[in-house]
Amino acid sequence: MVDVSQHELVPDHTLLGDGDLEEVLEEYNIEKTDLPKIKRTDPALPDDATIGDVVRIERDSRTTDTAVVYRLVVE
Amino acid sequence: MTDYDVPADTEVLVEDSELPRRLKDEVYSTLEDRDPTPEETEEVVQAIEAKYRDTRVDPLDPVGTVSAQSIGEPGTQMTMNTFHYAGVAEIDVTQGLPRLIELVDARKEPDTPMMTVHLEDEYAQDREKAHEVVWNIESTKILQLGDVSTNVADMLVRVSLNEDTLMERWPTVSDPVEVAETIASTIESKLGVETIQQGLVIEFGPEQPSYRDLLQLVEDLSDIVFKGIEDISRVVIRKEETDNGEEFVLYTEGSDFGTVLGIEGVDASRTTCNNIHEIYRNLGVEAAREAIINETMNTLEEQGLDDVNVRHLMLVADIMTNEGTIESIGRHGISGSKDSVLARAAFEVTVNHLLDAAVHGEVDDLNGVTENVIVGKPIKLGTGDVDLRMSAGSKSAD
Repeated sequence: MVDVSQHELVPDHTLLGDGDLEEVLEEYNIEKTDLPKIKRTDPALPDDATIGDVVRIERDSRTTDTAVVYRLVVE
Repeated sequence: MTDYDVPADTEVLVEDSELPRRLKDEVYSTLEDRDPTPEETEEVVQAIEAKYRDTRVDPLDPVGTVSAQSIGEPGTQMTMNTFHYAGVAEIDVTQGLPRLIELVDARKEPDTPMMTVHLEDEYAQDREKAHEVVWNIESTKILQLGDVSTNVADMLVRVSLNEDTLMERWPTVSDPVEVAETIASTIESKLGVETIQQGLVIEFGPEQPSYRDLLQLVEDLSDIVFKGIEDISRVVIRKEETDNGEEFVLYTEGSDFGTVLGIEGVDASRTTCNNIHEIYRNLGVEAAREAIINETMNTLEEQGLDDVNVRHLMLVADIMTNEGTIESIGRHGISGSKDSVLARAAFEVTVNHLLDAAVHGEVDDLNGVTENVIVGKPIKLGTGDVDLRMSAGSKSAD
């Protein structure tokens, strides 16, 4: 199987710890379920991600240097 | 620490500002060249920061509506229905409005699927090596390999293979007869017939003498893929100037992204295709988002509409991939999954939505724009969401 994370279209996906998660939710003043979603079967997801985890995605942005977004692992 | 040669106080000043990284770097490099006094520097940085704050989206700005208009207006200038060869290679690609519609509709299969295949190291430099990959991708069928004739008297199909083509398409095998053997065994397993192979000639026929079976065999024979990927009918090889210097790049008609990524010699980090669903399946939702932005931007650029700000396209891609899958814009996707009954009914198939909502006893909370316009309330956007209230507090102002 090909290493998906090496592809230039795929940004870095890392699992977010509980402490960091709270900070993020506080910063945006939202619930966890308000975050964009990512399927558990997504090929770019780290292997140890389970439903309910939040992944931190660091994109090479077109408008700023890097953009950090979060996605909630679902289903 | 920055890589720029600027005084320390300038750095403190710039780093303390609200500017994003890229703008900060630009400020540094400009200040580096001009060498201003500390007062001038402060003035410049403040001016830039003010300008930056000014250009940000205001709170409660309807960005979606602005995006819709910013893509929609240039869309009216696009060619309605042209098929012609895109700049690269002689491959036919859907362009203009039909392509844009196909992207936002998230069609399962584009009208003209294609892939851009980049190659690894020596495969990218050496024409022979690159051709090896080409023959592993392009589907090879019997008509490309030789002549097929039917002998009605003996009820036999006769395939006489062309030696040059065999050597060309199987560059790693030195003996053409060996290739003929593999072809014969492929025919046997796919058609379920006994074959007689002598040198480069393969003969076979139906079990019972039957004219119809004979023709059916010829028909089935022409569908067998002996080498390469079934869905890929043509591969064009081109030498191109890329970030890695000059190298061979392959363009394919038809696509099978997952399979191609696994082929030896293919650079699995740069190869792409124009089917966003295949990208989604193989690389995930984030890659699909990137692909949507790239494809929509390229479609607009090819039509000379590159002054559409990429932020609008990013918003579209963000919304389409928000649920972790690719959703289309429109009745079957985003607009059809809105919470509000009235908003859905206002979009398309009004009666069905209202009827279903009535049957299920749905409640509309009137949070969105459309439903508030319908009932004649102020919408919760811009100044519509702000309440002003007199302060009943302190007496300090007399």
